[in-house]
Amino acid sequence: MLPVPIIIALAVGVAVSVMAYFGGPALAKARAGRLALLVGLVALPLLLSIGNLSYGFHESSQTTFCLSCHEMRRHGESLFVDDEHALAATHYQNRFIERDTVCYSCHKDYALFGDARAKLNGLRHVWAHYVTGVPAKLALYAPYSSANCLHCHDDARRFREQPAHQPVLDELTSGSRSCLSCHQVAHDMAKVEARQLWQAR
Amino acid sequence: MSDAAYRRASVVTGLGLSVELVAAVHWTPATFILAAAVGAPLVVLGGAMFLRAVWRVLKDRGAA
Repeated sequence: MLPVPIIIALAVGVAVSVMAYFGGPALAKARAGRLALLVGLVALPLLLSIGNLSYGFHESSQTTFCLSCHEMRRHGESLFVDDEHALAATHYQNRFIERDTVCYSCHKDYALFGDARAKLNGLRHVWAHYVTGVPAKLALYAPYSSANCLHCHDDARRFREQPAHQPVLDELTSGSRSCLSCHQVAHDMAKVEARQLWQAR
Repeated sequence: MSDAAYRRASVVTGLGLSVELVAAVHWTPATFILAAAVGAPLVVLGGAMFLRAVWRVLKDRGAA
């Protein structure tokens, strides 16, 4: 459920529409009444819709939103596996990224329209859930872009000074070599199955 | 402005807001899409219907 103030505001908007339906003929006779109708049927509903959708778009970037679909439950559990080499787990457990937006932080492009593309992919998820069916094995729509990693790590001292990165630094920063060519485990699903979870200890 | 015109506008606007209200109470990915794809366009449509009706009245007055 969205916050109560949003629900109350929308309920007030609906009530105003009902009042405009029944009280409209009387209101329309006076100039002030016509102005009230303009506010009640145009300005207020538009403002409410913009506010509601803005909040909704913000909420749709939250980890809880992504994991609210049961198909993502195991990926959510992979954040807790006891494996320091699993990218999702180590980023989550060490708070390398904000936990509230952990899925979105790694799975959206930071290029122009990255947010829009992420939301459109979310639409495809819902379409798959209700219409075409969810594939047995979940996979990305496209190979994971190292640009997403470099968005945070690019100028990080730990990344730059890591001896293993030195010989391939140019390739990594130019995008000709994927970070995943070495960091191969993103979500350690084997340990999810084995229930080797960090917080279970 | 005819009574029917703004009554239609208020029905469409109210319907759009009702869809958004239901989606806000039962907040899931699917209902969010419903609010964005159905609720918000209905609100815009209702507002446009009201403004069109007002514009027609103003146009008729101008002609008179």
